Amino acid sequence: MSPGDFARGGVMRLSRVTGDRRHRRRLAELGFVPGAKMSVLNRGLHGGLVLVLGDGRVAVDALTAATLVVEPADG
Amino acid sequence: MGDRPVARAVLTKPCCDDAPGVVRAGDPRVALVGNPNVGKSTLFNMLTGARQRVGNWPGKTVSVAQGTWRSPGGGVTVIDLPGTYSLVPGSPDEALTRDLLVDRGMDGRPDLVVITVDAANLTRNLYLLAQVMETGVPLVVALTMVDIARTRGIRIDAGRLAELVGAPVVPVVPRRGEGVDELGRVIAAALATPRRPAVPALGDDLETALAQVTALVPGEAAARYPARWLSIALLAGENVPGVPEATAAGARAAGAVLTDAALTGDVLTGDGAPDDPELDDPELLIAEQRYAWVHEVIAEVVTRAGAGRATWSDRVDRVLTSRWLGPPIFLAVMWAVFVLTTKAATPLMTGFQDIVDGPVSAGAGRLLDALGAGEAIRGLVMNGLIAGVGQVLAFVPLMAIMFVLLSVLEDSGYLARAAFVVDRLMRLIGLPGRAFLPLIVGFGCNVPALAGTRILSDRRHRLLTGLLIPFVTCSARLTVYVLVASAFFGSAAGTVVFAMYVLSIALVIGMGLLLRGTLFRGMAEEPLVLDLPPYRLPAVRVIGAQTWIKLRAFLKTASGIIVATVTLVWLLSSIPFGGQGSFAHTPIENSVFGAASHAIAPVFTPAGFGDWHASAALLTGFVAKEAVVSTMAQTYSMSEPADGHQPGGLGAALRDTIGQTSHGHPVPAVLAFLVFLLAYTPCMTTVAAQRVEIGGRLTLFGVGMQLVVAWVLALAVFQVGSLFL
Repeated sequence: MSPGDFARGGVMRLSRVTGDRRHRRRLAELGFVPGAKMSVLNRGLHGGLVLVLGDGRVAVDALTAATLVVEPADG
Repeated sequence: MGDRPVARAVLTKPCCDDAPGVVRAGDPRVALVGNPNVGKSTLFNMLTGARQRVGNWPGKTVSVAQGTWRSPGGGVTVIDLPGTYSLVPGSPDEALTRDLLVDRGMDGRPDLVVITVDAANLTRNLYLLAQVMETGVPLVVALTMVDIARTRGIRIDAGRLAELVGAPVVPVVPRRGEGVDELGRVIAAALATPRRPAVPALGDDLETALAQVTALVPGEAAARYPARWLSIALLAGENVPGVPEATAAGARAAGAVLTDAALTGDVLTGDGAPDDPELDDPELLIAEQRYAWVHEVIAEVVTRAGAGRATWSDRVDRVLTSRWLGPPIFLAVMWAVFVLTTKAATPLMTGFQDIVDGPVSAGAGRLLDALGAGEAIRGLVMNGLIAGVGQVLAFVPLMAIMFVLLSVLEDSGYLARAAFVVDRLMRLIGLPGRAFLPLIVGFGCNVPALAGTRILSDRRHRLLTGLLIPFVTCSARLTVYVLVASAFFGSAAGTVVFAMYVLSIALVIGMGLLLRGTLFRGMAEEPLVLDLPPYRLPAVRVIGAQTWIKLRAFLKTASGIIVATVTLVWLLSSIPFGGQGSFAHTPIENSVFGAASHAIAPVFTPAGFGDWHASAALLTGFVAKEAVVSTMAQTYSMSEPADGHQPGGLGAALRDTIGQTSHGHPVPAVLAFLVFLLAYTPCMTTVAAQRVEIGGRLTLFGVGMQLVVAWVLALAVFQVGSLFL
């Protein structure tokens, strides 16, 4: 699943990030590491998402969201 | 540290402004490091006040602020490095931190790093702290945003954090000046007795692999780089200059063993199979282990009350980033910026201009009379220098308003949301969402729009936006459209003016696509991953300081070019050509300026307006579009019409001229003239601002490109139009 499959408020856990090495490293540096818990704060235009990641808020576009492989988690 | 190569490691070639005595070679150096938007620059301003300058990093085009802090122990040079998330740089801005802490070698490093750590978003900030600790540089942690953390029920045990990091931790709220004095005392003490921070443990498997790599590193490379950092970089597969290939290959082998072990041991959670290439990367393992250390630290130092509640910032975000309300709110904010930079600035601009034209000119006139200055000197001072200074000063309120608005949008946290809302639209021309703001502002005036490109973090995005802004039709061009369109199209003038705006947008998109496919080919289309800082009320003191620093830089760089150009045009129109009249007493047609206009006119013959009146107007348009209408009036020896919608005699004269030059096709000829006016250089102030933002060479290229585009378009409009009209 990807975060785009979750409704607003949906809680998920990151399994892995797909894409090239640079992209995965960048996201890892921002805290997108396997096991990280996230939720959807808001859905924007064209599949963009605002995600809650720990104490941070991160906006991603649809393409980036699609590279996040997630599974549902308990709130 | 021995003798520090200060001259190499500090800024060279100051680009913008300076204050006397800002940097002294013997002072100790402190670098401010931190994530973006965590109060780092605010802290820098609090420490250094106005004793700072902005300059280019040696060998790079990224500008960095540097200043002097008068610490209790004497002068300290403070370097404000651009915000970064990591020491593995993703952009030229980010590369600076890495450059200073690692690449310059042990002798080039600062004496101390002050790292700003956002208490309200500790996880990501501690990740960068872990990397800085790995370099072994003495450091002090400035724990910022403690007020926001407190409102979220987050309490941090600064004492315990200091023990775990092995460096002092000082809570501060830079915007209110809280804790800054204490931070100063701690920095002074740390400079007096520097010590290495602790080393974040990365787990048994990684530590074993790191020990293997460390054993492979030869003495030369070990002396050049921080030992722990070097081993981690080599294990991650980085190419480190000066490290023998055999060592790098050995490190890669150790990394391969490590990832195999991790995969079979199921260290990586998730559904990846052992042969999955996406998981086969020691670099990601290192990142994960750093985060594991971060979580251990957080478990020890953070206590939370009421966790899981939505913050008010979240509630605001649900509105501002929503798919339905986000875009209209964004447009409303842009409209407000546009109105403030046009309408609100106008009376202030007029006021400044009036002061120069009135009391300043009168005073200068009396002074020149008293000194017995001759006609030539008087003309030079009054019509050259003072008129030029007047034009520069007229832009001061406009620029100040723009800089204040930029700071408010950025500091409040809204700009990051705006970038998210409009990102998809701007991607059409390969620019990020933030580029929308300077382009919109350009419809008011291109000059503050160019200053607005500073909101873009990627240099190539700034350059591309800086080249596109002159194609955005500014309000000064509107006055000429109205006069000319009213003279030729009567009641349909409004439609023609509207068409110029549509053409302007089409030009921005078209040129954006063209430049992206040529000069900016390969400009990486970055996926949008944008950290949204919490909303905050902008601090007046911070905005005031930032505005003053930017304004000073603009005045210093732009004033010379503007005064010189205004003086030159006055001089050329005063010098008689062909033996008629005397200096400053010659009709404009018989001046050098008139002769130049006559000489240029044939260039426009294929576009249907090859006449010296038109080319004279376009020549002064280089200086300012505001001067085009008055030049037209001057060349026809008429007074300037008070209302552009009723061009009167000037309109009739224009129709006569264009009727003759277009050989019976006045409509396409006048449209071609308007299109040329839209696309060529907006004004000298824009050129000066471009030079500040994108450098001299690209500015020259931009001016040439605009002239070519303007001429080709005008030609096409006339040649194609005359087939039908």
